[in-house]
Amino acid sequence: MTNIAEMIIPETDTPGATAVKVPEFIDLILTEWASEEERAPFLAGLGDIDRRAATMGSSRFVDIPAAKKVELLTSLDSARDDKSGAGLAFARLKALTVYGYFTSKVVDQDILKTHMFFNGYQGNVPFTPVA
Amino acid sequence: MAPTTYDAIVVGSGISGGWAAKELTEHGLKTIVLEAGRPIDPAVDYVEHVRPWEKRYRGMRDRKRLERYQPIQRHTGACDEYAGKFFVNDLDNPYSTPEGKPFYWIRGRQVGGRSIMWGRCVYRWSDLDFEANAREGFGVDWPLRYKDLAPWWSYVEKFVGIQGRKEGLAHLPDGEFLPPWELNAAEARAREILLQKFGGERLITNARLAVLTEDHLGRQKCHLCGTCYRGCITLSYFSSINATLPAARKTGNLTLRPFSVVHSVIYDPQTRKATGVRVVDSNTKETFDVKAKVIFLCASALESTRILLNSSTAEFPNGLGNTSGELGHNVMDHIMNGGAVGTLPWAKDRREIGRRPDAIYVPRFRNVKTKHPNFLRGYGFEGRAFRQGWERGSEMPGFGVQFKKSLIGDLGPWEMDFGGFGEMLPRHENFIEIDPNLVDAWGIPALRINCVYSDNEKKMQEDMVVTAVEMLEAMGATNIRPYREDNPPGLVIHETGTARMGRDPKTSVLNGHNQMWDVSNVFVTDGACMPSTANQNPSITYMALTARAVAYAVGQMKRREL
Repeated sequence: MTNIAEMIIPETDTPGATAVKVPEFIDLILTEWASEEERAPFLAGLGDIDRRAATMGSSRFVDIPAAKKVELLTSLDSARDDKSGAGLAFARLKALTVYGYFTSKVVDQDILKTHMFFNGYQGNVPFTPVA
Repeated sequence: MAPTTYDAIVVGSGISGGWAAKELTEHGLKTIVLEAGRPIDPAVDYVEHVRPWEKRYRGMRDRKRLERYQPIQRHTGACDEYAGKFFVNDLDNPYSTPEGKPFYWIRGRQVGGRSIMWGRCVYRWSDLDFEANAREGFGVDWPLRYKDLAPWWSYVEKFVGIQGRKEGLAHLPDGEFLPPWELNAAEARAREILLQKFGGERLITNARLAVLTEDHLGRQKCHLCGTCYRGCITLSYFSSINATLPAARKTGNLTLRPFSVVHSVIYDPQTRKATGVRVVDSNTKETFDVKAKVIFLCASALESTRILLNSSTAEFPNGLGNTSGELGHNVMDHIMNGGAVGTLPWAKDRREIGRRPDAIYVPRFRNVKTKHPNFLRGYGFEGRAFRQGWERGSEMPGFGVQFKKSLIGDLGPWEMDFGGFGEMLPRHENFIEIDPNLVDAWGIPALRINCVYSDNEKKMQEDMVVTAVEMLEAMGATNIRPYREDNPPGLVIHETGTARMGRDPKTSVLNGHNQMWDVSNVFVTDGACMPSTANQNPSITYMALTARAVAYAVGQMKRREL
């Protein structure tokens, strides 16, 4: 699970999911916040991911070659509307990774630099994406 | 030993009670405000700047705690991990509903009441609204018209500080406005397109809000942190705590007693007046009486009527002031959650800076010039255009380095959302009563609420979806996602009615000055007083009615008519 989270938001010149403790946040959500009805299919889905990995070289996701990991996650990502199994677990994991990453203190303060005070509202500001 | 006799009692310190306190004290009356809940200290209790990483579940809500202590309150979005503390403990404040007829009664119980968490939207009514009951044969005629309330809307708007844009619409009259925030690039274009395509009938205008865009009477202009419902240390949006209670305190005539749960109004059959109220101290459970010459019930619509229902006497066996039999009847809410969201194709090179708490409004256009075949009355839309940042990550395809960079450095396309708010008809069979088998944590008999939406509201909600989609299509929006939810009444948190004003004591509880026909020194100026509810957000109207009723009461007291 940690492996997948780090693949979703990897370390670049800025911290990745692991460095800002996303796996710990996901654990907290699974153990305290989620109901049994939510936890069971999610954990079963993670197990399904390992079973898919078994067709690619090893019985655990963490042990298959890097290129195979990307291939597997790509196919899961396109199945993220699945209502069960590996596709659902990946969708949940991705959502929690994104949420846990961007609501962390480090990312909120140092990367997003979220402001609390604006001098007024500006609705027509030029924008170009930062690649 | 604190005095127990005052010139005036105000029950409740929320959006209406705060105004009653300000007006009564400014008129020179020694006034006690009895608030059921705890005091609020902005320095400690306001949490608008708390960041998600400061909360255990990062703002995802402590669902297990909510399920246990706030199973009803949790249905409203504002009862979250930050502001949930401003909503009542449902276990201490029970009520009942009949099987199959849920009602979500969303309440605050603290100094300031729900004026801490309210939506801040303010819109005047016109005679289209005031005349509707009489014209269509529902409920009773309002005992006043626009010209009676207009000076009082002006009066309260000038103190509150309302931002808005004058549009000159007869059926949504302009108010006393501070300059509004501008529409953003997407909204401005959308407004132009709709003006062309619908000939002015469907108008996107700036939302009219009790949020300051300029410093005003000692309160600071808003700095757009976006989370008003959690409090505001700069006093930039209107609430009792931020504006009216400080004004009342300045007079030296205010006594504010929190932890004071009012059980009933005490009536003296000799004088045919109320002498005061019976109070339960919420900490010690001791009961004591407070006396006054005049009483303003501002406990919120259903709570004020609950107090009256719990105040029965030999002469008034069905609740104090209920010779009409209307007390408890004609409870209304609005209907919401019909609308649509769509993706706009333009302004990709533009963004906004600053988080507006509210953005645009589309005034009612149904049953204004032409009669709609399916339903009476009408609805307006709240909405906004926005671009998602990292929040779009869970739905966006991809993962890895590029995915991360895109979530940090790019924005999703502009999306436009329209959500409708519609009028609910008054019906006698929608009513509240005392549940003989239920009391609250202070031993006070609780309410049973019998209220359902009718066909008129449901058809109206369906039409909200239709017209929202039409507007988005007219703009060339793609990926249009209509939505419609079957919420029980109550969830809009605009509950009104149950002690209605009217022209005739046989069919109403209050006269045209919010004064009880039966007990001339009791006034009810919160939502309970409304004979109909229009589609506009009601709070500014409660404020205007309250200020007007206090002026009338004070005039009567000066002439010794009270």
